[in-house]
Amino acid sequence: MKMFSVSHKTVFVVDHCPYMAESSRQQVECDVLTKSRGQGVIPLAPVSKSLWTCAVECSMEYCRILYDVYPLHKLINYIVSDSEFHILNSWRQEDQSTHELMSALAAVGPPNPREDPECCSILHGLVAAVESLCKITELQHERRTTLMDTAERVANRGRIICLTNAKSDTHVRMLEDCIQETILEQNKLAAVFFFNIQLGDDALVSDRPKKEISPLLTSEVHSVRAGRHLATKLNILVQQHFDLASTTITNIPMKEEQHANTSANYDVELLHHRDAHLEFFKSGDLHMAGTSTRENGLKETITLKWCTPRTNSIELHYCTGAYRISPTDVNSRPSSCLTNFLLNGRSVLLEQPRKSGSKVISHMLSSHGGEIFLHVLNSNRSTLEDPPSISEGCGGRVTDYRITDFGEFMRENRLMPVSESSHDPSGKLPVERAKGQLERHTRYWPMIISQTTIFNMQAVVPLANLIVKETLSEEDVLTCQKTVYNLVDMERKNDPLPISTVGSRGKGPKRDEQYRIMWNELETLVKTHAGATDRHQRVLDCIIACRSKPPEEEERKKRGRKREEREDKTEKNGSKDTDDKSWQESERLKGLLDKEEQESEVIKDSPDSPEPLNKKPRLCTEEVQPPERAKGPVSLLTMWSNRITVANSRKHQEFVGRVSSVNNKFELYQQLKDENGMDVHENGKASR
Amino acid sequence: MPTVVLMDVSLSMTRPVSLDGSEEFQRKNLAVHGLNMLFEHMASNYRMEFTALMAFSSLWELLVPFTRDYNALQEALGNLEDYDKTCVESALNGVSNVVQQEWGSACPCQVVLVTDGSLGIGKGSLRHSLHTLKHHGDDKKFPLPFPFPTKLFIMSVANAEELQMTDAMDNLEELLRLSGGDGQIFTMEGPLCMKNVQAMFGRLIDHAYSPFHAVLHCGNLSSDVQVFPRPEPIVMDEEVEPMPRSVNTDLEIVGFIEIADISSPPVISRHLVLPINVNKEVDEVGTGATDELEEEPSASQMAGKSPNFCVLLHGSLKVEGMVALVQLGPEWYGMLYSQADSKKKSNLMMSLFEPGPDPLPWLGKITHLGPISEAAENPYGEDDSKSPFPLQPPVKRSYAQNVTVWIKASGLQTDVQKILRNARKLPDKTQTFYKELNRLRKAALAFGFWELLKGMADLLERECTLLPDSAHPDAAFQLSHAAQQLKLASTGDSQYAAFDHNIAPMHTDFSS
Repeated sequence: MKMFSVSHKTVFVVDHCPYMAESSRQQVECDVLTKSRGQGVIPLAPVSKSLWTCAVECSMEYCRILYDVYPLHKLINYIVSDSEFHILNSWRQEDQSTHELMSALAAVGPPNPREDPECCSILHGLVAAVESLCKITELQHERRTTLMDTAERVANRGRIICLTNAKSDTHVRMLEDCIQETILEQNKLAAVFFFNIQLGDDALVSDRPKKEISPLLTSEVHSVRAGRHLATKLNILVQQHFDLASTTITNIPMKEEQHANTSANYDVELLHHRDAHLEFFKSGDLHMAGTSTRENGLKETITLKWCTPRTNSIELHYCTGAYRISPTDVNSRPSSCLTNFLLNGRSVLLEQPRKSGSKVISHMLSSHGGEIFLHVLNSNRSTLEDPPSISEGCGGRVTDYRITDFGEFMRENRLMPVSESSHDPSGKLPVERAKGQLERHTRYWPMIISQTTIFNMQAVVPLANLIVKETLSEEDVLTCQKTVYNLVDMERKNDPLPISTVGSRGKGPKRDEQYRIMWNELETLVKTHAGATDRHQRVLDCIIACRSKPPEEEERKKRGRKREEREDKTEKNGSKDTDDKSWQESERLKGLLDKEEQESEVIKDSPDSPEPLNKKPRLCTEEVQPPERAKGPVSLLTMWSNRITVANSRKHQEFVGRVSSVNNKFELYQQLKDENGMDVHENGKASR
Repeated sequence: MPTVVLMDVSLSMTRPVSLDGSEEFQRKNLAVHGLNMLFEHMASNYRMEFTALMAFSSLWELLVPFTRDYNALQEALGNLEDYDKTCVESALNGVSNVVQQEWGSACPCQVVLVTDGSLGIGKGSLRHSLHTLKHHGDDKKFPLPFPFPTKLFIMSVANAEELQMTDAMDNLEELLRLSGGDGQIFTMEGPLCMKNVQAMFGRLIDHAYSPFHAVLHCGNLSSDVQVFPRPEPIVMDEEVEPMPRSVNTDLEIVGFIEIADISSPPVISRHLVLPINVNKEVDEVGTGATDELEEEPSASQMAGKSPNFCVLLHGSLKVEGMVALVQLGPEWYGMLYSQADSKKKSNLMMSLFEPGPDPLPWLGKITHLGPISEAAENPYGEDDSKSPFPLQPPVKRSYAQNVTVWIKASGLQTDVQKILRNARKLPDKTQTFYKELNRLRKAALAFGFWELLKGMADLLERECTLLPDSAHPDAAFQLSHAAQQLKLASTGDSQYAAFDHNIAPMHTDFSS
């Protein structure tokens, strides 16, 4: 697994000398006349490709496969040579596409047969190729920079593929010598060279397998005819050079073009990294897995059977590798049918044919973002089978985890790609910001339902969602404050709280104790964020100012709790004979509450406290829904609370806001218009 | 990673150990003692490991097939019999078969070879095997390296000096080298006795069977976990990054992704993530105890009843169909998800991606994944109807962009016929006609195939003459216009032969 092997850089040097304009002498009949139209029409003479056209289209096919399978880090530099060299692209990533190359090739055009053959030579291109290999790529530069003192680990190797029309073995030797000389001059390059000499017909140059010309240079000579033969050869080479292997998907059902209601089975051959077959190679299963050797005896392919997908269910397969594919015959109908099917988002499981007849799914074809991958699925027995269930381990017996809430938390903490261009390099990386968000969101996060009150209350949601934010807007602070006032309101109305009764006998804590727990919890939550910004702090201040009982009050209440519990019992019994007594009790309690109310009024309604101004505006009627309007028969509790409410309303001064409201509405923060917000803030603190 | 214990039961293992004490031990007794200790350790700290026990002399026998039943393994150790001479090669062939039959050839395996360093004599001895290595035919290849990734641990019930007196040490080292070099030879330090054999197996346990403990973090929520099997350090590129990378003991969740978006990613290994209770004594043999079930009920019940983040996370991942992306180290990530073993049982699993900044092309660089709260509008849509994934590559692959390949004559014929078919349906098919025509034009220009442009122009002119009387007048105009443009392009004149230029339909207006 070397990043900087010879495959990192490939230079194509294609001969553009006048002799390349010669015909390949292979004719293509492109005018196919149908019987009905054939009469009296003279068919077009067949066209024939020049040696140049053959060389270009075969090299482009090599590039196409390479770019499909390795869109990154396997680079091609394309050089054309005639009376001088023409470098058609650079090593830069944005120059690496067949479209770029085609465009540059079109600009070069076919060789000019009238050019003086004496000044033209492939040598110009070969020298340029060696020089080009000496140029460092973006990736090499990046790695060398990061490695600093061990930069020499980033090797500089490369491969040159030369397509020319050499006249003799001596000619080839001369070319090799020239490359060797150039390499020595440059004195820094270890390169492996493949020569590809293509000829019209008779082999003037003989094939020669890989040979080490010097420690820096190996060379290989292939002599092939233009056209199909050259294409086949280059196809084999691209597989060898880039560790590719071939898989043939068989039994693909496809609608016939002519007979739409029938379907025939087709095969499609795909190329991909050979590691997708690793398991077959290792187990020596190659033949069992349906290997077949092609007619030319050079290429092997493994056959896998198409399994028509039944459902579109989303499943996480155990996949040990995923490799990009490139169809061998990209624009054939079966190929494009298969690739379009996959590009439309379907996945196809592939079955490994086995002698025994047992069905083994070994691979899957699937596209991700317009790229098709051959996934290798694990088909062996898992070493992790039969693990102890999570419910048997730590925390496994707990039944009231906040699964739904955590699900919601996960949705809020989903990730999205942030384009590198929009990322400010001086700032935190997006992933660090994501971690930061997780940290903020979990500062106070009880894991089980019975550990929390506030997260079981719909009323707290707006505040809980906002307070975890990195920064708050003025509007956010308002929403948080509204939430707090709403809670105050609930408490005043004595609304029940979803306090867990787990672990406590009977009904659990008393209502006011419940509110105390709730306020404590809310304060804990907000305190963990209060340090973030002033606005966060203001939310905390608001809670502290609004929560019902100041600490010393709470102490006093605790002392009185025993009495209340007794009262609670009688209330629960609710039998008629205790009615009177309960009324007495409630009267006594009323007195107690009145006293408290007065005490708190001293604070809340004191002239130098702006707190009443912050009081929640009565905007919606349901918030002020008086108990009388509750449907159904009036309960004892309602009667009791009504009495208290009425008694209270007589005893305390009405809030300034409510008194001077218009249509039950009162503008908040009027003082902000004159003063700055800090005053409110400080006063809020002082009111504690 | 399953383990095969390969126990030498040749006669040499029955050699008595000279001791001052009254009791007489054989080397076999020492080996059995050491293995018992290993099995006990695994039973309590490494329980999920599958282990098989094989005994070998000149033949080999699978005494206990792969199991997690350590009692059965210990029982089998108690019933070992003594046989003839040592033959390592055939035993290794046995290991190869047994492992591949059970786990295939991709599953990494640990082999613990327990021997006394007396490696046989004559044919079948290790010395003989190694000497004749090169003369092995293809059909009788030496079993090492195994087809599956292997860690070979050689436990020698002999001290290093004894092994070095003969060529035994050299042969064992050669064996280790042949197996791929991953592993170690352990020898006894000091005299052969129970204490020292314990020390030797203790070193093996520390080296290969100590549980991997980590802390799983999600912001301020966390849980102590055991990751099983232990994640092994890996080397990415021996040239550029020769140092192996290891998984951190702090596993940090960075965010969450839908299962559909992560889309069956390739992983290098899979691990169970088991919550553990670390309040226990860590002073026991090996490292911290992890096993809840074997503990007295009160302790395990206590652990079961206090809330654990892993259980919460697992539950929500399962319900929501999501995975948690987790950072394992610098530029190394993995995912946590719920894996169902059966309808009732499911578990928190962690899969490791290949180390690197962008292990999955469809997610892009992991460091460039940010919180959705930063987006102006939720990229998942208000009703989760969309997704920001998969990422589209900047350049389309060949099969997604209608490329032109004419290597096979049929490819060229199809493209020409497609144009002619559309030519006969002008002006209805004007758009398709020009689209196909321009595609052919571009390819012909790039391939320097000007002859084809001329030929195509001739064909279009001929089509023009063959138009029936009923044809729309526009058809003739378009055909001759297209033919003329192709002819101009075939001259290579830069004005007409520019690659990015497209032949536009002739503007005709027959309405007036």
